Amino acid sequence: MIVCVAVVGHQNNPLYIQSFTEADDALKLHHIVHCSLDVVDERVNNPRKSGPTLNDTFLGLLYPTENYKVYGYLTNTKVKFILVTTDLDVRDADVRNFFRRFHSAYVDAVSNPFHVPGKKITSRTFAERVSTIVKSFGLSSAG
Amino acid sequence: MGKEVSESCVESLLTEIVSSYGTRFYANKPDLAARRIEAIGYQVGHQLSERYTMERPRFSDHLEAIKFICKDFWSELFKKQIDNLKTNHRGTFVLQDNRFRWLSHMSIDPSPENSGSTQDPSAVAENKAAEAASMHLYFPCGIIRGALSNLGIPCAVSADISNLPACEFLSFSALN
Repeated sequence: MIVCVAVVGHQNNPLYIQSFTEADDALKLHHIVHCSLDVVDERVNNPRKSGPTLNDTFLGLLYPTENYKVYGYLTNTKVKFILVTTDLDVRDADVRNFFRRFHSAYVDAVSNPFHVPGKKITSRTFAERVSTIVKSFGLSSAG
Repeated sequence: MGKEVSESCVESLLTEIVSSYGTRFYANKPDLAARRIEAIGYQVGHQLSERYTMERPRFSDHLEAIKFICKDFWSELFKKQIDNLKTNHRGTFVLQDNRFRWLSHMSIDPSPENSGSTQDPSAVAENKAAEAASMHLYFPCGIIRGALSNLGIPCAVSADISNLPACEFLSFSALN
């Protein structure tokens, strides 16, 4: 289950962060997202470990904690997507697929002429689309 | 993705933007009009670059990003690539389009307004043509600047039209 997704701008400014848990642990999840930004920087600056292809937008598993796995994705425009999940065995293909759909939702949201670049994404349509994508995460492998 | 836009609509819109800003909103301040048109282009370029770089690996250096602008980005916008790319390897890039689509359909009003002047009439017409065309180039300049700065290359872009309808875009980036 995905517990948190975040969009972080190129100056590490939060653009969108949403947790999907019942419990009141938003702060903890935000902290995890925050910590992962350093790992993203590290991956980008020392690309030797960053997966099979150099400069791939998908950064792979950033770091595992006791309860969570954190995945990262970096677009060409230096916008970072962070995904926090509680699933133990996650297939890379699923995560890639998730990020691809998430990216196109993001692109549609920032292409809105009323969206101010660099500001938080407040679009309700985007939020709904994200929660649909989050809900369908991993279903392809299960079913 | 895959949505198409009518070319003639875009051209009419551009003409209308230029004439609205140039002769109505900021009739006495052509500099301000140019800046506003450039700003519109900037936002468009910013958003388009976000969309068109979606399914590709990240760029490792500036040259790669510029090449992307010349090839894929230009193809998406104008159905052709940039004809010639020159660089001094110190942050200046010259993008040359031998037949720039948004200028190729332009014609200039031939009515001789300055008939009393001593200047050669063909020179006057040429001047007017250059002036009118240059107003239409702030928008594409803004698009290039918006796309490049979204890809992490802050720069200044200007256009040069010495022989229409060919057009050269000069991009100066501060870094590099």
